Amino acid sequence: MTSSTPESSAGPDARSGVTAQDDAPSGGKTTTTPEVSASPAPEPKGPRITSTLLKHSLLMLLAFVGIAVLLETVSPFRGSQLAAMAYYVPVVAGLTVLTGLNGQISLGHGALMAVGAYVTALMLETESPLPYLVILVASVIATALVGVVVGAAASRLHGPYLAGATLALAVGLPGLALYFADTLGGEEGIRVSPPSAPAWVEDVAFFITGNTMSGTKYLGYLGWVLALFVLLLLSNLVRSRYGRLWRAVRDDEIAAELAGINLGRTRVLAFVVSAAAAGVGGSLLAIVTRLAGPTSFTIVLSIFLLVAIVIGGLGSLLGAVLGSALLVFLVPFVTNVGLDAGLSSSQAANIAPLSFGVVLIVVMLAAPQGVVGTIRLKYLTRQASRSPRAQGG
Amino acid sequence: MQQFVNLTLNGVILGAVYAAFALTLVLIFRATRIINFGQGAQAMFTTYIALTLIERGFSYWLAFLAALVSGFVIGAVVERVIVRPVETGPEINAVIVTLGVFVSFIALAAILFGNTVQSFPAPFALRGISVGEVNVAITPNDIYRLVAVLIAMVLLLTLFRFTSLGLQLRAAAFGQEVARLLGVRVSRMLTLGWAMAGLFGSLAGILIASGSLVFPNYMDGIVVFGFVAAVLGGLDSFIGAVVGGTVLGLVTTYVAGYVDASLVTLAALAILVTVLLLKPGGLFSSSVARKV
Amino acid sequence: MLEVRELVATYGPVKALDGVSLEVPAGKITAVIGANGAGKTTLLRTVSGLVQARSGSVLLEGADITKTPVEEMVRRGMAHVPEGRGVIAELTIEENLRLGGLWRKGADLEQEMEGVYEQFPSLDSRRKRTAHTLSGGERQMLVVGRALLAKPKLLLLDEPSLGLAPLVVSQIFHLIRDLVDRTGLAVLLVEQNAKSALAIADTGVVLNLGKVVATDDAKALAGDEQLRHAYLGF
Repeated sequence: MTSSTPESSAGPDARSGVTAQDDAPSGGKTTTTPEVSASPAPEPKGPRITSTLLKHSLLMLLAFVGIAVLLETVSPFRGSQLAAMAYYVPVVAGLTVLTGLNGQISLGHGALMAVGAYVTALMLETESPLPYLVILVASVIATALVGVVVGAAASRLHGPYLAGATLALAVGLPGLALYFADTLGGEEGIRVSPPSAPAWVEDVAFFITGNTMSGTKYLGYLGWVLALFVLLLLSNLVRSRYGRLWRAVRDDEIAAELAGINLGRTRVLAFVVSAAAAGVGGSLLAIVTRLAGPTSFTIVLSIFLLVAIVIGGLGSLLGAVLGSALLVFLVPFVTNVGLDAGLSSSQAANIAPLSFGVVLIVVMLAAPQGVVGTIRLKYLTRQASRSPRAQGG
Repeated sequence: MQQFVNLTLNGVILGAVYAAFALTLVLIFRATRIINFGQGAQAMFTTYIALTLIERGFSYWLAFLAALVSGFVIGAVVERVIVRPVETGPEINAVIVTLGVFVSFIALAAILFGNTVQSFPAPFALRGISVGEVNVAITPNDIYRLVAVLIAMVLLLTLFRFTSLGLQLRAAAFGQEVARLLGVRVSRMLTLGWAMAGLFGSLAGILIASGSLVFPNYMDGIVVFGFVAAVLGGLDSFIGAVVGGTVLGLVTTYVAGYVDASLVTLAALAILVTVLLLKPGGLFSSSVARKV
Repeated sequence: MLEVRELVATYGPVKALDGVSLEVPAGKITAVIGANGAGKTTLLRTVSGLVQARSGSVLLEGADITKTPVEEMVRRGMAHVPEGRGVIAELTIEENLRLGGLWRKGADLEQEMEGVYEQFPSLDSRRKRTAHTLSGGERQMLVVGRALLAKPKLLLLDEPSLGLAPLVVSQIFHLIRDLVDRTGLAVLLVEQNAKSALAIADTGVVLNLGKVVATDDAKALAGDEQLRHAYLGF
């Protein structure tokens, strides 16, 4: 039995069904054909949804504990960075689903975050604002509605046309803030007074950790609870029927249509889901940075989001988290390198976008599946090459 | 009425510059079926090169020439090194790569040339001319812009329609494999297409800058407008790009004049969406059905 | 003129050409025939360089051109009319023709283009119109005319009869035969329509699944009933 090199044998995947992995779409499509019959399928799980939900919930719970430990122990500066990560994770995750899973590229998610942020800011401006969770839901609904409109237009467009249209959205939407300067605060935006920790949270926190809950730390907790919740929902969607539909539409439109899938509706759904996630991110951004203004939502933001999902691997939620971490932690690191090298502060501030631009290029040229995606792909091909051997050829 | 005339004139002139930029996108799209989102940033970079020369005492025209030449070179290098590997393969890769170019050039310009807003000299007067007793809101500088674009377009058209090189470029764009069989060095034609687009982009960039302000992001809006203009004209057609550019110039000027300057990009977006949904091939498309 | 030795070409794991050898002498038509998927088109594409050979060699007038890039071939005297004809629909008829003579200069070319127009009057009347208005037969004439403008020594023709009415097919084939007899051109003709191809060819090469299964005088092949039934379908 000749040993087959991983590249040449993309044999039937040992795991059954298409739901098993978020295969990245770009660069040589290695569609692992789900030949269930060719390999002994693993023991059939119970109602798949329940067990997946359970698995993911446990994962999120563990993650929360980890985050809590971090938030309690690190410096306030790191704490604020963690909080920043919390508002990136939902957007980047939603974008990963949209672009990686469903194949729609969007440069407009910065603008969608802005919608969430502004709604939150406006609702918090009032005399006695509603409880934050209510405001959050309202922001998400608002952003989702915008997502329906944009998604409907986007569903008919592909590739560069979609990119161009969403780019126009990203550049153009801030203009609304300037036009309606009275209500929307114009150039400076709206100042946001973030919600403070409710009494019970403070008590529980003191009971467990012995520390007092500062305002910023509370925002970190709040942000991460919400971010993990979004991740939970998304990871379940990805493994569900909808995830399969999205992938099917991405991989082969004609085949999907022939199979009876409504292309437009599937795409719009993916867009709305990612828009809702962006709404969460935007709302969190507003309360964490205490501002909702046009300068927070430049085209650079949309490109940063793109970098995050590209590095992470188009289609991998884990990659989305990694990408968010990179955005938050790499930027000040790189800027400091620049400052140490003797650059002025405005010059050093541009090292980050420069490196991100270069990263986008290099990753696309060298590893189109992104870092996580490439690793996963190697893992999968090695698995696939092992399984025929396991069955004796 | 006076306002309408002034706005229309300004719109046409602005439209000429948008048309020039749209032409660059069409040039590249015809050659390699890619939309170069980084085109504006490349042009901005070459404008800064020109500005640096002017600051060192060189004449405007020498700097102008330098901008065009560097635009040509940068265009060729970008195609050969960065875009060539993703020219085949999923289109999303090319989109991401050109966005990378976009961000990198802007950041690089900010680092090398500074972030502050600077003014760029104009080679001609900046005061409105008077026709008889009427003060028209057109300056000699505006006329220079219009004339420069017209000359460039005529040269481009001549090259494409009447020279052997132009024929080869078109053959390479419309029938790559057949062209290779006929002896056309397609690979070189692709690079040349990008180089010419780079030159044209630099022309647009320096015309916009002349008599105006420059900062690293000054071409961002142009990318959007140029894109909409090119799509409006049907990305395959030069004439379409010209018409599209003019329409967009007029629309943006009217919106800025009669409504508000901050809504200009949204107006462009509205046009874009309308065209893409109703007549995706644009107004002048030569290919039969366009998949957008 | 052309010699192909043990040519192997692959598409991934599939061997489209599995050690093909043949010769195309000057002044003769060599027809390559066989069922669909036999490798005929791949053979032409490998000879002209659109596809890179895995192993084996291609010699043109004794010179090894196996690794020569396809863009060089016209200059070396090889013209390849591809499958699907290769009319560039967005260009005019005249522009399509002119592409055939890219590497030739001046008045000479103009004269010869006129010659092509004389031979194909239906092209003449529509010189400045874009080529997408042409019928299948007219397109075939256009691309043959275009290929000849390069003054090739070897002409590769890929399924010229595809989609054409029998009368037109006969016209074109006779045109080619006439040309070969008059000018000493060497022609490698790939055809699905084995009957018509063998009628005008000198030699026939039968391909099946990437291998040569028979090489013989064209008349002899046409007369071999067993062979015809097995590989050619008539």
